[in-house]
Amino acid sequence: MSSVYLFEIGSQKAQWLSARQTAIAANVANANTPGYHAVDIQPFSAVLDSSPIELATTNPAHLSLPQSETGALREVEVDPAEQTLSGNTVNLEQQMINLGDVNRDYTMGSNIQRAFHQLLLSALK
Amino acid sequence: MQDSLQTALRIAASGLQAQSTRLRIVSQNIANAQSTGSAPGSEPYARQTVSFESEMDRTLGANVVAVKSIGVDSSPFKLERDPGNPAADEGGMVKMPNVDVLTELADMREANRSYEANLQVAKQSAEMLSTTISLMKDA
Repeated sequence: MSSVYLFEIGSQKAQWLSARQTAIAANVANANTPGYHAVDIQPFSAVLDSSPIELATTNPAHLSLPQSETGALREVEVDPAEQTLSGNTVNLEQQMINLGDVNRDYTMGSNIQRAFHQLLLSALK
Repeated sequence: MQDSLQTALRIAASGLQAQSTRLRIVSQNIANAQSTGSAPGSEPYARQTVSFESEMDRTLGANVVAVKSIGVDSSPFKLERDPGNPAADEGGMVKMPNVDVLTELADMREANRSYEANLQVAKQSAEMLSTTISLMKDA
C-alpha cells in the first residue's frame, strides 16, 4: 500500500535529520579543537537513491549485504582561507544555519506524519 | 547504537563541559594577574592554558570533545620596578605574572560564544525529542 510507504519516508527523513543533528553537535562541540575538520552527512536524496534491495537470508549461514548507513560522515570541503591557524575548519555561523534547517525540516516532517496519521484515523472512525 | 538525538545531546554536553573548564582557567588567570611570589626574587603565578581534543566515545559511537591538557604558559615573566614589594630582588625588580588581561578577555568571549552555540544545539535536540514524543499525543 502506497500510504504505508509515506510513513516509511517520513521515518527515514527523521532518522536522517537526527544523524545530521549529531554531526552538527560534533562540529559545534569541537569548534575550538585544534586540527578538527568539520563533517556533514550525505544528502537525503543520496539516502533515497541507495537501493533498498536486500538478499533474503533463509539460512543462518547466509551473509547479508552491508547496508549503506544513513549517518555516514564525510568531511566538508572548506576554503583554506577559512581554516584557523590551529587547523580547525568549523564555521560556527554555518553550523547555526544548518541547525535551523534541521529544526525546520524536523518540525515539518513530524507535522506531516501527524496529519497523515489523523487522515488514517478519520478513515477508521 | 543509541538514539542519534540523545547522542547529539551528549556531544553538546561534552562541549559545554569543555568550554566551562576553559572559562574556569580564564577566571583563574585573570584573578591571579597580579599575584607575585612572596620571597625576594621568587617566581610569580604562571599563566595556565587549556587545550581541547576530539575523542571517540565508544559507548556513544561519536566524537565528543574533551580537555586534553591544562598546561603552563612558558613565556617570560614581566619585570616591574617595585622596591617595596616583598618579592622584589636586590635591584628592586619584581617578577609579574605573564598574564595578559586582554588576551584572557578575548579568550573569555570566545569561550562564551562556543558555550552558547553548544547550548543552542542541546536545546534544539531536546526540543526535537519532545516533538517526536508529542506525536503520540491527541491522536
